[in-house]
Amino acid sequence: MFEQVKSAYERLLEAIVIILMVGLSIVVLLGIAYRSAGAALVWYDEVAAITLAWLTYYGAALAALKRSHIGVPEIIRMVPPAWRVVMFAAAEILVIGFFALTAWIGYEVLVILEGSTLVSLPEVPEQLAQSVIPIGAVLFIIAQVLSMPDAWRKTMAGDTGHPDADRKGLGSEMASTE
Amino acid sequence: MAILLIFLALLAITLINVPIAVGLGIVAVGAILLTQGVEMLPNVAVGMYNGATNFPLIAIPLFILAGAVMNASGISRRLVAFATALLGFIRGGLAMVSIGASLFFAEISGSAVADVAALGSILIPAMKRRGYPTPLATSVISSSATLAVIIPPSIPMILYAVMADTSVVQLFVAGIIPGIIGGLGLMLMAYRFARIYNLPVERAFDLPHIWKTFKEAAWAFILPVVILGTIFGGIVTATEGAAMAVLAALVVGLFIYRELDLRQLKEAIIEGGVQTAVVMLLVGTSTLVGTYLTEAQAPQQLAAAIAEITTNKWVVLALLNVLFLILGLFLHSAAAIILTVPVVMPLVNSVGIDPVHFGLIVTINLGIGQQTPPVASVLMTACAIAKADIWQVTRVNVWFVGVLLAVLLLCTYVPAIPLLPVEYFYR
Repeated sequence: MFEQVKSAYERLLEAIVIILMVGLSIVVLLGIAYRSAGAALVWYDEVAAITLAWLTYYGAALAALKRSHIGVPEIIRMVPPAWRVVMFAAAEILVIGFFALTAWIGYEVLVILEGSTLVSLPEVPEQLAQSVIPIGAVLFIIAQVLSMPDAWRKTMAGDTGHPDADRKGLGSEMASTE
Repeated sequence: MAILLIFLALLAITLINVPIAVGLGIVAVGAILLTQGVEMLPNVAVGMYNGATNFPLIAIPLFILAGAVMNASGISRRLVAFATALLGFIRGGLAMVSIGASLFFAEISGSAVADVAALGSILIPAMKRRGYPTPLATSVISSSATLAVIIPPSIPMILYAVMADTSVVQLFVAGIIPGIIGGLGLMLMAYRFARIYNLPVERAFDLPHIWKTFKEAAWAFILPVVILGTIFGGIVTATEGAAMAVLAALVVGLFIYRELDLRQLKEAIIEGGVQTAVVMLLVGTSTLVGTYLTEAQAPQQLAAAIAEITTNKWVVLALLNVLFLILGLFLHSAAAIILTVPVVMPLVNSVGIDPVHFGLIVTINLGIGQQTPPVASVLMTACAIAKADIWQVTRVNVWFVGVLLAVLLLCTYVPAIPLLPVEYFYR
């Protein structure tokens, strides 16, 4: 049951990330095409930048589910098991606590933004664009919880959990920022 | 003092395996609570949002996507065939082919890990079959992949340009000559090993065969020429060039080569999205710390403190080289750039170092960092493909890393090498 929920959640986030990656390309290409035709789109820069922010926080939740965020897992592997338990628990509490705080203040900001709209698209509320912060934070927390049992097993087994040591297919390595 | 406190807090948090991006956010929250009070906390959410809406950084997911589409359309195989025809007649031909193909591939891909994955999966098994020792085959593939971040387009360069507020196009141009010198240096080193191990040549030099493989791989060459040409010519921005690269790669994959592997493409898009998010979350939360440090004038204080010791720019460059080489041992290049570049830029500017020159130095440094364990993404990917031990490979790879270090020193102390085309075309 737990694995099914995790797998469904992963597929949902993957679908969102694919849509945002493809959407971002389409927005930028439309921007170039319209500008070349002498009819520059006024909303192009703003919408592309918002799409990047959405890709950042929806993608960050998926990265949390895959435990792919850049960290230093080597130290926790070297300490005695009893210390590992304490360090693991502290790290999980800090991460979840930070995003719980982000979700709360992100929501507070949305309340403050009531009535504001995008500069280039006055019909679109700014709240929609910035909703990604509280929503992304909640998605991150869910991902962190769903990936916790696996991360716990790996930590106790002394596995680094480093994304580079963890990859399976070659397709995934084709897409890297390094 | 602020830098030291923030650094120590961040160190403590990351040592228990909290992701660095989250650690930065926690440190920023702590700093705001201590110095500005709870009522300023909404600035955290606003800062994280604003940090992630940085338009020039859109080039990162788009170049990753372009590389993914090109990989899924069988471009690596064609590049290897052409490089074999062109360079296979030299002793240790397959090593030359690996480095030559990396040089070409670097013009498409902005990422060294992508380079290793694409070429290593074809060339490491081929080299093993031809009797190359596994550590040598792995070292050749791993070290030559670093050319991908030196030769444009380059994702670390895009990040640096944004963090240092300098021209990404000029930085791209500055990478061309050092990248070619690096490629030739690695070929010389590979030739040395080819003589030691008496490695075979692949095939006789055959002009008609070279022409045939060139025609098959021609699209692989035309695309980067067109894309980089339009960026360098000022027709489109780097971000728009990246979007055009996606479109062009799709056209080649769907209508010219007609072999787009959709399953591989889907996997690469997802992983590209994840990798982008990993870097962008770092950008987002580092914005918070950056704002705090800027308000505390911390980078300026650091610059003033070092200026009291020396204002000689060559000495400062040597110090910064050592700093980035050490950081490269332990940090992913994106994290190293995001964490340190905004802090050291006031120092770089105050002693009169050209920010484009410095950007290239940072890029080569962190390229070397991808080869040096314990944290060495490119080397680890190459070792995973070759099923080789990292430390055994490192014993051979150290020679190739030596070549890259020589390129770094050359570019550091002879600025004309990277900057000549920049001066000629843009200044």
